[in-house]
Amino acid sequence: MSPYESVIADWLHRCNRCGTCKYIFRDYGPSCPSGEQYRFESYFASGRISIARALTTGEIDWQESLLKPTFACTECGACQIQCMAPHREHIVEMIEELRSLVVDKLGPLPPHRAIAESISRKHNPYEATHHNREIVQQLNLPDKADTVLFLGCTSNYKETSVRDATLSVLKKAGINFTVVDEYCCGSPLLRTGQRAFARQAAEHNLEAFEKAGAERVITSCAGCYRTLSKDYKKLGFDLDIDLLHSVQLVNELLTEKKLKVTQQGSIGRVTYHDPCHLGRHMGVYEEPRQMLGVLPVEFVEMHPNEKNAWCCGAGGGVKSSFPELAQATAAIRLGHARAVNADILVSACPFCKRNLSDANQGQVAKVLDIVELVDLAT
Amino acid sequence: MSLKQKLISIVGEQYVSDGLAEKYVYSFDMTENPPKRPAMVVMPESVQQLQQIVRIANKDRVPLVPFVTGQNIGGLTIPQVDDAVTVDLKRMNKIVEVDDEAMYAVVEPGVTFGHLRKYLDEHNPSLTYTYPLAPPYTSVLANALLQGLCDLSTMRGAMGDFINGLEAILPTGEIVRAGSAIMGDGNWFGRYPLPDLVGLFSGWQGMSGFVTKIAVQLWPKKQFTRHAALFTFGEVPTTELLKRIARAQLIDDADCMSLSIVKMLLGVSPPVQVYGGEPDYGTLLTLSGNIEKEADAKYELIETFVEDARKNESRQLLVDWDAISRMLGDQAKSWVDFPSDAFKVLTEYDGLTWVGTYIHPKHWGEALSGGRKIVEKYGFELMAYLKPMNSMHFGEFKFIIRFPKDDATVEKVRHCNEELLDFALSLKALPYKTPVWAAKKLQQNADPGFVELLKRIRKTLDPNGIMNPGRWGL
Ligand SMILES: Cc1cc2nc3c(=O)[nH]c(=O)nc-3n(C[C@H](O)[C@H](O)[C@H](O)COP(=O)(O)OP(=O)(O)OC[C@H]3O[C@@H](n4cnc5c(N)ncnc54)[C@H](O)[C@@H]3O)c2cc1C
Ligand code: SF4
Ligand code: SF4
Repeated sequence: MSPYESVIADWLHRCNRCGTCKYIFRDYGPSCPSGEQYRFESYFASGRISIARALTTGEIDWQESLLKPTFACTECGACQIQCMAPHREHIVEMIEELRSLVVDKLGPLPPHRAIAESISRKHNPYEATHHNREIVQQLNLPDKADTVLFLGCTSNYKETSVRDATLSVLKKAGINFTVVDEYCCGSPLLRTGQRAFARQAAEHNLEAFEKAGAERVITSCAGCYRTLSKDYKKLGFDLDIDLLHSVQLVNELLTEKKLKVTQQGSIGRVTYHDPCHLGRHMGVYEEPRQMLGVLPVEFVEMHPNEKNAWCCGAGGGVKSSFPELAQATAAIRLGHARAVNADILVSACPFCKRNLSDANQGQVAKVLDIVELVDLAT
Repeated sequence: MSLKQKLISIVGEQYVSDGLAEKYVYSFDMTENPPKRPAMVVMPESVQQLQQIVRIANKDRVPLVPFVTGQNIGGLTIPQVDDAVTVDLKRMNKIVEVDDEAMYAVVEPGVTFGHLRKYLDEHNPSLTYTYPLAPPYTSVLANALLQGLCDLSTMRGAMGDFINGLEAILPTGEIVRAGSAIMGDGNWFGRYPLPDLVGLFSGWQGMSGFVTKIAVQLWPKKQFTRHAALFTFGEVPTTELLKRIARAQLIDDADCMSLSIVKMLLGVSPPVQVYGGEPDYGTLLTLSGNIEKEADAKYELIETFVEDARKNESRQLLVDWDAISRMLGDQAKSWVDFPSDAFKVLTEYDGLTWVGTYIHPKHWGEALSGGRKIVEKYGFELMAYLKPMNSMHFGEFKFIIRFPKDDATVEKVRHCNEELLDFALSLKALPYKTPVWAAKKLQQNADPGFVELLKRIRKTLDPNGIMNPGRWGL
C-alpha cells in the first residue's frame, strides 16, 4: 500500500485560480518560473492543480500532452508562499502526487526514466561509478562516528569542489565524522513521480547511518537535506537522528570560533541565493546570512530573496527534461545578482551551483557554494 | 495551412496550444457557469500579432474569446460555441504612458492592478489608480470595460466612467480609436466632446472587438487618509445611513459587508455563522483630505450622522481605525492598503460566484433584505456586499457565495443565483459582469428596442460573428 495519503483528494475543491501565486504579493515581481516561461494558465500552480483535479474526477483522460505542464515545474514552492488559500502548504505535494499518477499511467519522461535506471544500477543519477568508500580510505575516515557526512550525488560526482570543501571544513573544525556507503537519497525520484524506487534508497541509507552509529547526519546538498528530513518521514521511516544542512553546523562552528577566519582582506562582493529546498522547503534563511556576516566578504542581498527568492531553475527534474526552462530561470537569477553588482553568487546547494554556473554568461565573475567560501576563508 | 499552423506563423510555436491541459484549463472559471473547451489557445504579444489573428479569424470564421486572467466572476471567458480560439492577452502587458499632468495611464490588456500600482509608486508617486477588492493580478483594462467597482467608486462611480479613450481592433481587423487620442498619442485626456464611441466596447464583454489600449483616469493621492469601521443593524437602517454619508460626499469609498465576511477576515473557519445580537453589517469607510483638518472634519460629520442614526437604532456604532489597528495590528493595515489582501476570504473553495447588480437607491435596502432571505433559505453563508456608487446616484449590492464545486452544490448555487437575480430584476436592478443566463433573463425584462439595437450594432461591427459569440445570449 502506498504510504501516501492523497493530498489531491484532500484539497480537491480548493484552488479557484485567483492567480495570487503568480507574483510576489505587494512586490508584484514574478514568482513562478514555469508560468513566467510558458505563460499559459496551465503552467502556473493553479493549472497543475486543475489538471490534478480533472484527472481525479475523470473530467479529462490521460494524454501525452499533459506531460509538459505536469513536469515543467521546478517544484520551487514559490506558489505556496504567495497563495492565501487553505491548501497553500500542500501545492508542491499535490504536484508531486499528480506526477506520480501520470507516471503510473503514462510512464516517466525519458530523461527521468534514465535517471531512475542510473540510480537503480549505480546508486546515483549521473551514471557515475559508485565510489563513496574511496573517500573513506583517502581521508582515513573511521568506520563509525557520531557524525555522518551525507555527500549527495551532485557534490560527489559533479560539483566535487563542494564535496571537497565540506570535507576540508569539517576536518579543519576537528569534527569526528565519517562517510557511509550512501545511495542517492531518492530526491530525483520523488520529485519526478517515481516514488516506488525511493523507498529502497531510503531503507539503504538509514541502515548505513545506523551501522555507522550516526547520531547526526550533515549534508551540503539542499535537496538531500529536504529529502532526508521531510520525505523519509513521509515514507514512513522514523528517524532518530539529527539532520543538519552544513550551513547550520558551519555557522555554529564559526560562531563558536571552532572554525577561525584566517583570510585577510575581502574575497569580494557576494550575494546569496536561497536554494528552494533549503529556504522555502525547510525554512533555513538565517544561518547562511550569519555566516556571510562573519566571512571576509562584502555581503549584499539581491532581490527577491529569502521566502520570495527566485528559483535557480534546476529542481523538480527540470534540468534534465526542460533545459530551456532551467536556463531561462537561472539567467533571471543571475540578472538579480548582477543588478546588485555582485562578483560572487553563492548558494548552499551543489545543484543550484551547477545550474547557475551553466547559465552564467558573465553576469557574475564566479558562482560558488557557501562552503567553498568558508573553506577559502578559514 | 491549418488554423494552428497559421497561428504559429504569427506568434511562434511556443504560444499556440491545442493540448488537453490548455483546453481544459481555459474551459471554466470559478463560477457555476457551465464549462466549454476552446479548440486552441493563442497568446499574441503585440497589437500587430493580434491584428493578424483577427484577420485570419474573420476570413475563416473562427470564433475568438478574449482572455486576460479569467477572473470576472461571470463565466465571461468560457467559450459559448464550438471550435473557439481563446486569445490569452497576458503577454500584451505594457504600460504605454502615464501622463502626470492630465492624470491618466494608457495600458495594454495584460497590465494588472498590482503592476499598475507598482509602476505608479515608482514613477508617479503623487498619483493613484483605484483598485477592486479582487486579487491584485486581474486586468485593469478588462475591469474598466466590465464597468466594475473599485476603491474610489463611492465617490466617482463605476470603472466604465474612468475610461478616457481606447484603441481597438475591430472584428474585421481595422485598428480604431475612441476618445481624445484620435488627435494623436500623448493626448488621452477624455471622451468629450465627441460621439462617445467608447460605448461600442465598454460593457460588451469582448463581443465588439479587441481593446488593445485603454486610457484610464488617475487621481492625485490625498495627503491624509483616514479609515473607520461602521457596525450597523438592519438592512434599511444600514442603507439609509450609507446613503446619507455618500450623498454628503464625505467618503472616497465604502465597503459594506455582512458581519460574516468581517468574521472571515478575522479568521473564523467556515461555515461562518452570525448570532443574534451581533451587528448585521460592517462597513469600511475611507475618507481623505489635503490637510489633516479636512479629513478630521469629514470624520466629525460622519460621527454626527451616526449619532442621528442612533436615535432610531441605538446600536449603530462608528469605530475609528486606530482602535481596530490596536486590536489587529498589521492585518488591519493590510486590509486598507489596496490592492488589499482581504480578497483571500474568497479563496476558501474552488467555487466563487455572485449575482452583482447596480440598483436605484430607493430599492437598495429592500434588495438587501429580500436577497438575504433567499440566501438564508438556501443555507449558504451570508455574504452580502454593497457599495454606495457615484456619490449615491446608485447603489451596488451582491450576494457572494463561496462553494466547493461538487455537482450537488453547483446545482444549488445555480438555483440560488437565479432566484436572487429574479428578485433583483423585479426591482429593476441591472446585473453587472453578466453571465449568459443572466443576460437572457435581463433581456426578457428589458426594453426590446435596446436588445434590437445591440444586435444591430453587433452585426454591423462583426458581420461574421467571430467575437465572443454567444455572450449575452446574442
Ligand atoms: C475574488 C475576486 C474579487 C473581485 N472583486 C472585484 C471588485 O471588488 N470589483 C470589481 O470590479 N471586480 C472584482 N473582481 C473582478 C476582477 O477585478 C475583474 O474580473 C477583472 O479586473 C477583469 O479582469 P480579468 O483579468 O478577470 O478579465 P477576464 O475575465 O479575462 O476578461 C473579462 C471580460 O473581458 C473580455 N476582455 C478581456 N480582454 C479584452 C480586450 N482586450 N478587449 C475586449 N474584451 C476583453 C473577456 O472576453 C471577458 O468577457 C473580483 C474578482 C475576484 C476573483
Ligand atoms: S494555488 Fe492558491 S494562489 Fe494559486 S490560483 Fe490557486 S488559490 Fe490562487
Ligand atoms: S512550484 Fe514553482 S515552478 Fe512549480 S508551479 Fe509553484 S511556483 Fe511555479
